[in-house]
Amino acid sequence: MLNLLLRYINLMVLTIAILIIISFSLAYVFPGDTLTNISGIVPQSNEQRVALEAVFKLDRSIFVQFWYYIENLISGDWGVSSSSQISLLEEISIAFPATIELITYALLVSIFIGIPLGFIGGIWHHKPFDFGVVTFSVVSYSFPVFWLALIFITIFSLQLGYLPLSGRVNFLYDIPHSSGFILWDIMLADIPDKKDAFKDALRHLILPTASIALVTTAIFIRFTRRSIMDEMNKGYIDAAKSRGFTTKQIFFKHGLRNSLLPILPLMAMQISTLITNAMVVETIFSWPGIGNWIIQAIYQRDYPAIRIGMLVVSVFVVTLTITIEFISRAIDPARDKFQRGAV
Amino acid sequence: MRLLDVKNLTVEIDTGSVFVKALDKVSLTVETGEIRALVGESGSGKSLIVRAIIGAIPDHWIITADRLTWKGQNLLTMSNEQRRIIMRREIAVVFQDPTSSLDPSATLRSQLEESIPEELLDKGMFWQRNKQRREIAIGLMHKVGIKNHEACMQRYPHEIAADIAQKFMIAMALVSEPELLIADDPTRSMESTTKNQILRLLSGLNETRKLAILFVSHDLLAISSMAHTMTVLYCGQTVESGKVKHLHRRPLHPYTKALLDSAPSFQINLPPKSHLVALPGTIPTLKHLPIGCRLGPRCPNARKECVKVPEQKMVHQHSYSCHFPLHSPVDDDLETKQ
Repeated sequence: MLNLLLRYINLMVLTIAILIIISFSLAYVFPGDTLTNISGIVPQSNEQRVALEAVFKLDRSIFVQFWYYIENLISGDWGVSSSSQISLLEEISIAFPATIELITYALLVSIFIGIPLGFIGGIWHHKPFDFGVVTFSVVSYSFPVFWLALIFITIFSLQLGYLPLSGRVNFLYDIPHSSGFILWDIMLADIPDKKDAFKDALRHLILPTASIALVTTAIFIRFTRRSIMDEMNKGYIDAAKSRGFTTKQIFFKHGLRNSLLPILPLMAMQISTLITNAMVVETIFSWPGIGNWIIQAIYQRDYPAIRIGMLVVSVFVVTLTITIEFISRAIDPARDKFQRGAV
Repeated sequence: MRLLDVKNLTVEIDTGSVFVKALDKVSLTVETGEIRALVGESGSGKSLIVRAIIGAIPDHWIITADRLTWKGQNLLTMSNEQRRIIMRREIAVVFQDPTSSLDPSATLRSQLEESIPEELLDKGMFWQRNKQRREIAIGLMHKVGIKNHEACMQRYPHEIAADIAQKFMIAMALVSEPELLIADDPTRSMESTTKNQILRLLSGLNETRKLAILFVSHDLLAISSMAHTMTVLYCGQTVESGKVKHLHRRPLHPYTKALLDSAPSFQINLPPKSHLVALPGTIPTLKHLPIGCRLGPRCPNARKECVKVPEQKMVHQHSYSCHFPLHSPVDDDLETKQ
């Protein structure tokens, strides 16, 4: 087990190291002044330029520069945005929780809808309910997310007027920023109309969450359904039946666990899809998350922000994927055996 | 008493375009306390019979039978719940491949303890149940010849050897104290020492507990040493059935004879370097089944009449399905007495 843990940590460290190298090289690859790309400050005079180059060690060899870059990353000194001159760490610590909040809810919705639906579809496969489930998953998988979000806005916000069009919460409510997760912040906040604010935030959440969750739900349905169908045809299920166990016992004690084990890593791989979709949806719903923030940075050619934004998002995805991969590996006893050369 | 009675069982399986009779009017009985061997080549439908008996046939396959009864109760018409209770307490199955018949993600201990029926636990308090389960489990492991139960109980199925797994499967089958044990080729791909251990275990259980066993195999040597009666299957048809010693001495069906001749261990005065007798050809595939007697194309005595399915004829416990039996059927027991 320790061996396994070390292997996964090694994998994670190496991947993140490569990401840092790429993000560092972006400062040179991006058009414009390397000094501006790395610091976010446009030097106003020659003296200032020399001073800044000394600070960022641009007058030293590239290895020293890289070492200094890593030191800065770890100490939290990520430079400033070239458009707003605000510290990037601060901007990201506001924008990123909003995205994490959104994808967490989308993931929860997908898990709590997708897995049970796929499970039922797999058990009753080729029955009317299963056809319904498959149709739903094919249809919702085929929707492009950006188009779906726009359709949602057209129907529910503009035509029917049920749900708000954009943002996280109505501007009437002044929610102090503490954790960055809006629902959590509202619960902590000391405001008179807490209940209304909470409801309002939930109403804002529905459309973006639904547009992201639909695709992921479809994928989860398909994974679960296929996996259940495969497992329920295996010999040990027949053996369990021949032992006279109840159907419920067979499904919940044997079928469910064995069919969820192989799809857990597949689900972990969906996190990157989820983040990509979240970025698109954030832009459409003006959700103040990291996706929206990076798109704005791209519009304004804010190279330091693009560089750091890319690094933060990819480190997040890599960490989460590898962690889930490790967990699924650790809880699956059969995965530990040698796949090749077993006696 | 007749425990299991199968008469004219036909299973039609879906090959994509047409339904094929994979089992064609198979008949089989198992009496209390007997070991019935079911013999046949690979692909002759042995496992299919087992699956039909335990009810593991897919819904879209057509299964018909004149009789498929367990102690007089019709298995085909009873409710799933009734059938489940019979499987839970009265019939137990040991499958061909032990490791794939065990849940790969649960320890052997939890699987064995799960199989213990609630009724077997004494009416102690609920916190004593776990201890009782454990004791029953350990007792069973010892009974089937797994001495090192501690090392085995905490393992997962992929971590143990196939023979231990098969013994463990037998332990799991015995846990509900069944009356009939269906052993579907339990010694497949085992070397002879472990095979003998398992066969001895099964015969021992038959003698001490009066456990009836339906022993499905193609291992004639094992069958002749332990089975009382045997049913020979060819390509989904029952060919001949009767007491093992009668079938050995006087096979009536050409296929039974060929099967016995193909095992040199049975022929005591076989001259050295003599030809090993075997039928020409191979067992036909399901898509190209001959009409009538399915042995027809390979049978040395086939004649025109063989395109019609022969009726099953019965002479004193010895039944055969052949138009032209090798010997004139006589009462085997009578002959023994003379």
